Amino acid sequence: MTTLAALEKGYEFPPASFDLSEEWVDAYVASVEDEAMAALGGGFVPLMAIAALAIRALLEHSSLPPGTLHAGQELAFAAPVRRGEALTVAARIASRGERAGWVLMGVELRVARDGLAVMTGRATLSFPVAEGAAV
Amino acid sequence: MTQQTSLAAGAALPTVTKTITQEKINAYARAGGDSNPLHTDPAFAARTQFGGTIAHGMLVLAYVSEMLTAAFGEDWLASGRLKVRFRAPARPGDTLTSSGKVTSVDGGKTLCEVECRNESGEVLVSGEAAVSR
Repeated sequence: MTTLAALEKGYEFPPASFDLSEEWVDAYVASVEDEAMAALGGGFVPLMAIAALAIRALLEHSSLPPGTLHAGQELAFAAPVRRGEALTVAARIASRGERAGWVLMGVELRVARDGLAVMTGRATLSFPVAEGAAV
Repeated sequence: MTQQTSLAAGAALPTVTKTITQEKINAYARAGGDSNPLHTDPAFAARTQFGGTIAHGMLVLAYVSEMLTAAFGEDWLASGRLKVRFRAPARPGDTLTSSGKVTSVDGGKTLCEVECRNESGEVLVSGEAAVSR
């Protein structure tokens, strides 16, 4: 598996598909103890579960350098998502730079349902220039 | 807990408080598919600048999103926007409180400041949220 540290600006991750199974959503909601979603009902999926899926798509094709930090996150949602729906994830490295011995990488994310975006966003990740050397 | 009423500028969002444990971090790692050893391997994490495991940023952000779901309900799910910086790590044993306030309401768009602090008052996450109603 390729490490994220080896990928350059412009790299497009292979598209990934996810089915939002009841089992997975239940496990996610339990792990974050989301009481508001339980109160809302309607079979909706928490927004951060969708974002977590998008990030998981990256991790299926590239490993994070040890000690990688999540420095920032931008997310925009266009429609509610419900349990049982199928989503596709596309991601690309939009920026990559170095500062003080750390790589700063911006990864653009797009999650779609039937081709229409339900979430777009950008994750900013940081990891040591010499993988594993600084942590 | 769910509020979902109209909030005017200056109104506080309903706070959400959670205590982080290693078990919760491990459960999130399994659900989210992110087993970065910084989160799940105490021996590895002890050798990093953090000196121990830390929670996933997206786990902390889930608490912020829970607050916004409680405040805005389905509107948050349909139109939420969030921009945050992760400023400090959340560690096992920390009690985190997510809070926020409405900064403006204009043309059906509500803007909020949001943050998450630990029990010492240290800001771990801060940023802005927007929702259309």
